Amino acid sequence: MAVFLQVVLDGLLNGMLYALVTIGLSLIWGVMDIINFAHGEFLMIAMYVSYWLGFLMHVDPLISWIASGIFVFLLSVIVYKLIVSQLIGKPALSALLATFGLSMLLKNICLNRFSPNFKLLSDTYLGGKVIQLGNNLILSLPQFIIAVASMVIILLTYHFMTSTKIGWAIQATAMDRDAAELMGIDTNKIYALVFGIGGACVGIAGGLLPMYMPVHPEVGSLFSLIAFICVAMGGFGSIIGSLLAALLVGLIEALVGFYIAPIFKYVAVFGLYLIVILIKPRGLFGW
Amino acid sequence: MGKRLGKKVMWLTAIALLVGFMSCGAAYCEEKVIKIGTLFPLTGPVALAGQRCKAAVEAAVDLINNSYPNIPVPLAAQKGLLGGHKIVLVHADHQGKPDVGKSEAERLYDQEGVFAVIGSYNSAVTKPASLVAERRKKIFMCGCSSSAELTKRGTRYFFRIAPTDETESIEFVNFIKWLNETKGTNYKTFGVIYENTEFGKHAAQEAKKAIEAAGFQYVADVAFNPGATNLNSEVQMLKGKNPDVVFGACLGADYILWIKTMKQMSWLPKVSLNYCSGYQDPLIAKQLGGDGDYFMGTTGYSPELAELMPAVAPVEEIYKKKINPPVPFDSDSIQEAVAMLVLAQAIEKVGSLDTEKIVDALYANEWDSPLSLGGKVAFAPGGQNIKAMSIVTQLVGGQYKRVFPEQFANFEPVVPMPSWDKRK
Repeated sequence: MAVFLQVVLDGLLNGMLYALVTIGLSLIWGVMDIINFAHGEFLMIAMYVSYWLGFLMHVDPLISWIASGIFVFLLSVIVYKLIVSQLIGKPALSALLATFGLSMLLKNICLNRFSPNFKLLSDTYLGGKVIQLGNNLILSLPQFIIAVASMVIILLTYHFMTSTKIGWAIQATAMDRDAAELMGIDTNKIYALVFGIGGACVGIAGGLLPMYMPVHPEVGSLFSLIAFICVAMGGFGSIIGSLLAALLVGLIEALVGFYIAPIFKYVAVFGLYLIVILIKPRGLFGW
Repeated sequence: MGKRLGKKVMWLTAIALLVGFMSCGAAYCEEKVIKIGTLFPLTGPVALAGQRCKAAVEAAVDLINNSYPNIPVPLAAQKGLLGGHKIVLVHADHQGKPDVGKSEAERLYDQEGVFAVIGSYNSAVTKPASLVAERRKKIFMCGCSSSAELTKRGTRYFFRIAPTDETESIEFVNFIKWLNETKGTNYKTFGVIYENTEFGKHAAQEAKKAIEAAGFQYVADVAFNPGATNLNSEVQMLKGKNPDVVFGACLGADYILWIKTMKQMSWLPKVSLNYCSGYQDPLIAKQLGGDGDYFMGTTGYSPELAELMPAVAPVEEIYKKKINPPVPFDSDSIQEAVAMLVLAQAIEKVGSLDTEKIVDALYANEWDSPLSLGGKVAFAPGGQNIKAMSIVTQLVGGQYKRVFPEQFANFEPVVPMPSWDKRK
């Protein structure tokens, strides 16, 4: 029983990390109807920001996540202004290809500037620290902190979207852009803000990850794939749906990985995604 | 009159062009170059290792093309091969992907016209890429891919310098037997964690064979997909089975994540022995700091082995100029330099670029190799270097200490590994 609980705990903690990575993508996809293929590279850049702050200025990821979040927020707004805004209203494939090109560009810039070498912060404040829960359960502190951050960010985003004027404006823009503009909402600014918030969420996740994970130019690839699955499974634009889908992915991954075989954990995740999409093409909570 | 003059001018121009074209060809021929391809993962998850392997081949070519009379390595004193031929390298990047490796090998042989290819680090890539060479009856020199399977295919044109995971598995098991006999340990249960690739799967197969042949119990078989976002289930599985000894076949970032995850789960085996992997990478060892300590593995070369191989130091100086940051050779990269040097010796001995004669010479002779632990290279049918040797080392304080076999040992192995809470 203790082993089962440990596996479930690990799965939930990983699920919370996936949720934090997913939430921004879900927001952008839901509001703007744009698939940001560079989402994984935004995560990678945030990890580099956190790593370099740690390496050069000895700032722990517990603090540098703020800088990572702000950096990726600004990067996202610039990307929106320079690239994405030109593609609003054009076929969805245009934005998809443009952000795919951007992802290649960002990856190759990092390869060129930072080399393909793995970079790991050796002495992070929480790195490797654990809390013993009872006799048999172990809680990894870095993963726990990421899970807490994830929950706080998701609650704040949810509150922002549902209880503030700007949030209502975002929702109105997502539902009917033309109607929103007739109501006096500057949808261009709303889109820039949504792209920025989406970037900031993944930026915060990337800022915290170097507590235990090495950074390299390829690190975002699998995360972004899992984020796409969580968004599609949860329902486009549904924050709660993305959260639940991410938790489900984390749990399935951990349970299948432990009770069947680790090499099948991603097979199970992608299999589950296919089943959900076949039964509910708009995702579990999609409108 | 004007028409005739025009015709004459046309003819003269045509002749001038032809002569010019032919003399260009002659000038190219006089350049006397031997094109050799390199095929390594220069981008992707194991790019760091690939960049080093490429730099090692470049260092060997520098030795061959230029005169270094003070370096005690074959061909270093002379300039070039076959009376002045220079080796020119053509680099290709396979990104760690077998399909890319195969198509890049085809490009190197067919379009670039290379005489031979050196590569490919990942066994999974070396396998299809070397079959491209075999079909074309071209030489493929492999430095460090360790899958034993590669030299059991009955190929003629494939040659591998490094020890295989078969010999390493036997060495690991012998080391544990030696510990049990001489240090009073009683290690009986074994597990293997490995990436689900050609390299990892074969390492695990050989490990299982060696463990069971020695009468030990094989209790945990944990495969994982390389580049995973986490290794929690994998480590949880190991922890559940709790083997005394774990063999690891994890490369690059996965090796780091494996160790970090074991720390997060407060678990360690008593002994961990690693195949050519993140363990051998001095940069990863440095980044892991104290967390990487007390792990063990085989090492064909590390700076701490330099006293056994004095010729390495001057070659390493050349190598360091070709890699950023300037790190020393590691076990894998040095094997690629050896591959280049042995091929060059064979070309020089045969005295021509006749592939069949060079292949025959490679099999028939024993080659001096001051950059190898055994000092010699000789190939058995199938292409395996039967003189390949490696030493079991333990990482302590960021240094690779020699612990086994006894005649090479300079350090008493620390077993069991101190648990995470007892480390500084």
